[in-house]
Amino acid sequence: MIPASWTGRRRVARLLLLVAALALAVSACAPDEGGGGGGDSAGGTVKVGFISPVTGFVAALGTDMRRGWEMYWQQNGAKVGDVTVQTVFEDDTGDPEVALTKARRLVEQEQVQLVAGPILANTAYAVAGYVAGRGLPTLQMTGADDLTQRKYDPHVLRVGYTSSQSNFPAGKWAYDQGHRTAVTICPDYAFGWESCGGFVSAFVDAGGTIKRQVWHPLGTQDFSTYVSQARQANPDVVFVGSAGGPDAILFYKAWTGFGLKDKIPLVGNCCFADQVFLREVGDEALGLQSFTYWVEGRDSEVVQRFVQAYEQQHNEIPSLYAAGAFMMAQVTAEALKKTGGKIEGEEFINAARQVSLSDSLYGALTFDDTNNVVGPVYQTRIAKRDDGTLWSVVENTFPEVSQFGTEGKEAFLQHPVFSRDYTGQ
Amino acid sequence: MTVPRWTAAALAAAGIAAVVAAPYVLPSFAVYLLTLTFIAALLAGSVNLLAGLAGLVSIGHAGIAAAGAYGVAWAAVHDRGIGAQLGVAAALTLAVSVVYALTTMRTSGIVFLMITLALGMTVFGLALKLSSVTGGQNGLTGIGRPQAVDEWWQFYFFTAAVFGLCLVALAVINRSPFGLMLRGIRESPSRMTSLGYSVTTAKFVAVVLSGAFAGCAGVLLVWNSEFMSPSVASFPRSALAVVMVILGGTGTLLGPLVGAGIVVAGEYWLSSYVERWQTVLGAVFILVVLYAPRGVVGTIAALPRRSRKEGT
Amino acid sequence: MSLDELALQALNGLSFGALLFLLASGFTLVFGLMKIVNLAHGAFYLVGGYVGIATFGATRSFPVAVLAGAATAAVFGLASERLLLRRVRGQELPEVLLTVGIALIIADGCLALFGGNPRSIPIPTPLAGSVRLGSYAYPAYRLFVIALAVTVGVALYVVQHRTRLGALIRAGVDDREIAAAMGINVPRVFTAMFVFGGALAGLAGVVAAGLLTLRPGADTDILLFALVVVVIGGLGSLQGAAVGSALIGLVDAFSKVWVPELSYFAVFAPMAIILMFRPAGLFARSRA
Repeated sequence: MIPASWTGRRRVARLLLLVAALALAVSACAPDEGGGGGGDSAGGTVKVGFISPVTGFVAALGTDMRRGWEMYWQQNGAKVGDVTVQTVFEDDTGDPEVALTKARRLVEQEQVQLVAGPILANTAYAVAGYVAGRGLPTLQMTGADDLTQRKYDPHVLRVGYTSSQSNFPAGKWAYDQGHRTAVTICPDYAFGWESCGGFVSAFVDAGGTIKRQVWHPLGTQDFSTYVSQARQANPDVVFVGSAGGPDAILFYKAWTGFGLKDKIPLVGNCCFADQVFLREVGDEALGLQSFTYWVEGRDSEVVQRFVQAYEQQHNEIPSLYAAGAFMMAQVTAEALKKTGGKIEGEEFINAARQVSLSDSLYGALTFDDTNNVVGPVYQTRIAKRDDGTLWSVVENTFPEVSQFGTEGKEAFLQHPVFSRDYTGQ
Repeated sequence: MTVPRWTAAALAAAGIAAVVAAPYVLPSFAVYLLTLTFIAALLAGSVNLLAGLAGLVSIGHAGIAAAGAYGVAWAAVHDRGIGAQLGVAAALTLAVSVVYALTTMRTSGIVFLMITLALGMTVFGLALKLSSVTGGQNGLTGIGRPQAVDEWWQFYFFTAAVFGLCLVALAVINRSPFGLMLRGIRESPSRMTSLGYSVTTAKFVAVVLSGAFAGCAGVLLVWNSEFMSPSVASFPRSALAVVMVILGGTGTLLGPLVGAGIVVAGEYWLSSYVERWQTVLGAVFILVVLYAPRGVVGTIAALPRRSRKEGT
Repeated sequence: MSLDELALQALNGLSFGALLFLLASGFTLVFGLMKIVNLAHGAFYLVGGYVGIATFGATRSFPVAVLAGAATAAVFGLASERLLLRRVRGQELPEVLLTVGIALIIADGCLALFGGNPRSIPIPTPLAGSVRLGSYAYPAYRLFVIALAVTVGVALYVVQHRTRLGALIRAGVDDREIAAAMGINVPRVFTAMFVFGGALAGLAGVVAAGLLTLRPGADTDILLFALVVVVIGGLGSLQGAAVGSALIGLVDAFSKVWVPELSYFAVFAPMAIILMFRPAGLFARSRA
């Protein structure tokens, strides 16, 4: 049926060559642009893409974030003026490649005009880099210092505090309490370096000495070595700069297991004694002191309304991840009010930067000119509520703390970002 | 696979046509997923080279890919041009591949597996540790693609072309005397030695060769994302590469591509619609093993033989 | 480092090693008998642990929690072996993919049921205190874990070498065909071993919940450790698993003190060294 000559090798080669040539010719022509969001809201709807890790090792954080974000729109309605805010949710699993792909999907396929999240620093950098590169605005809540410092981009606004920011008051306070020597325990990666950096720079600035800095790998199963190192150095105070979750729980288990709870004063950072921690550790955490920006037990109408509504719906006290996402939603709404419902690249971020709140989940806040929060840092203590559950309450308030500490922007940016090489001393 | 040459050519032409047509008929995000698939398939292909021919399963090849990727990333962040980027990537890929090869050339089976596992973890750990060079956990941003392939569709064609070339190279290696030697080593190393071949040298060359393909995948990966972080070298990435190979059919030419397609579809497409996508993906793995134990392509390849036998 | 310090770190290492032994023993026994590298072993550990935590929350009884966790993991083991693994017996790579698929489903199920929060068991009072060791107060639970691992190890050894059941199993390992020819129901022995391995993993999970925390991803983390232990010790060898876990536990603890920067790779260094001289592991079984 098929001529023998057709099945020859040369015929096959010629066919493939033809196809290849066609392919090359075709590939020189650009197809229609398949994606791209931004611009005016189409028919009164604004589409926002929300990325958070709902599966993977930080699944708890991502789920809380979604809940916090949704709670804002539930409480205040999804309409801002004439515009309805529609959210598309994506899961980044805690992996930067996945986060990037999901961001791409949101921008190109869902045509969102704004991207909020994710949370882990590397995923946030990847997403912010892509979104800003497309000329779209993005709101972040990750703590990575440089996002609003040396890696500042006018399309990126952080609705939150840098990893070092809330620890500046902690360092100064520790010295003012009479502590002259300190040991720090932080995870050995950027968040840990920056958290400890904040405490150390302020503590040393005030006149204190750091006896030892203990760095542990992320995901450490067993903290006994690190705890005993801290104990050996016998400092006046120990600062722990945890990222929360299992590390915080396991560290504290080791700390109490070695009987140090009443021996050496312990001060935690923003994210050490969070709700995830409290749910697992229980009463052993009573009296624990931290410096943070989200205080579930703060005596403020805004906070209590949020906590009550959240608890009613989800049966647990909201964590700082839920609060942070709620804040992102709030800033989105406030900025939309200022732009009259439009989202256009940098202008939206400019409007967001103008947002000034007299009270919010975080307190009275404004934004500085590199798009970071300037707001209060609270010294907190873990206490028991009437119903027996644990939460943090305010002991002291340190208002208007800037990401640049007390140094001011120019001086702060003179030195490199906090790392193992530059620890703030 | 014993398929008449005309059919094979027609299928190949159809495949090429589909690949070329994609950016004109599919939305840009779908094309992005195809790009990811080709890149994943290239890494899986490098694993398949060792597993399919030599019977050596490496569960650390993402480490080699990461070496190539970091080469490009570092050079790009220091404002070097494409030539320098590729040069550093090639040097790093070669260096890491040689380390892999030297440590594994006298081993096989489970030991080979575990050593590659350890090496992959070491690369991951180094990427985290050497943060002044690699950006540590936070990674490196602002890595630009080469100007000529900067647009999404241009980069897609570039990736597809590179994959196509590598596929041809893999096919050539498969049929070459070297490929035969590797297969001989899998069957009986002692026989090959008694025939005068140096088993360790062959394994060394095989690992370095497969490393080259992995390095290519790494370069494409970092140019695609324009971002780099240690997660590229992580254990799950290496494990998924092996999964893709088995899914598609170990030792088949197109197996890695099919396997990559399934995993990428699950991880990046299904996950946007189904919350329990990991359960679905796990179920797919199980179904493939039960009903297509030679892998998807492997089982299809075995079909004509069966039907011919029945017809006799 | 003072003697007290040394003892402290050694105990830390041994207690973590004890946990690893509980996990690795099941893994190595399954491999020794059935030649299956069960990558779902970590998932059995995870689901057993989560069920143990939930059971403890409901009953406040640690022994009941342990039983529940082990039983749950055993059930998953049974289902996996009889329904799935049996159908691809002998094909290595398909077996690997199958166990990966099972692991994914179990882990995702755990996420759906128990959520993403890290969970643990508040140690029950008899074991919650500390024991005086020199100038340190050492957590009693860790000593309990060591004691448990030793007990389990001894029991396994006794069964393997002093009982009929053990003889049956050893026969199945040595020569499957002859064992079958002699009337031993080899498939049933296989299933029983796989179920038992699962139960051990589940037990390890519940015990771990008192020592560490369980969360998504914990299955992969611990599986990696188990793989290293088993490869060092020699696949199929119980003594090997014991020595390997003690070694890895100690290396992990001391590397964190002496070379914290390298603690990441520290666990692989002894593996690499041992494999260089004894590629089949320390206590390799010589195959006929």
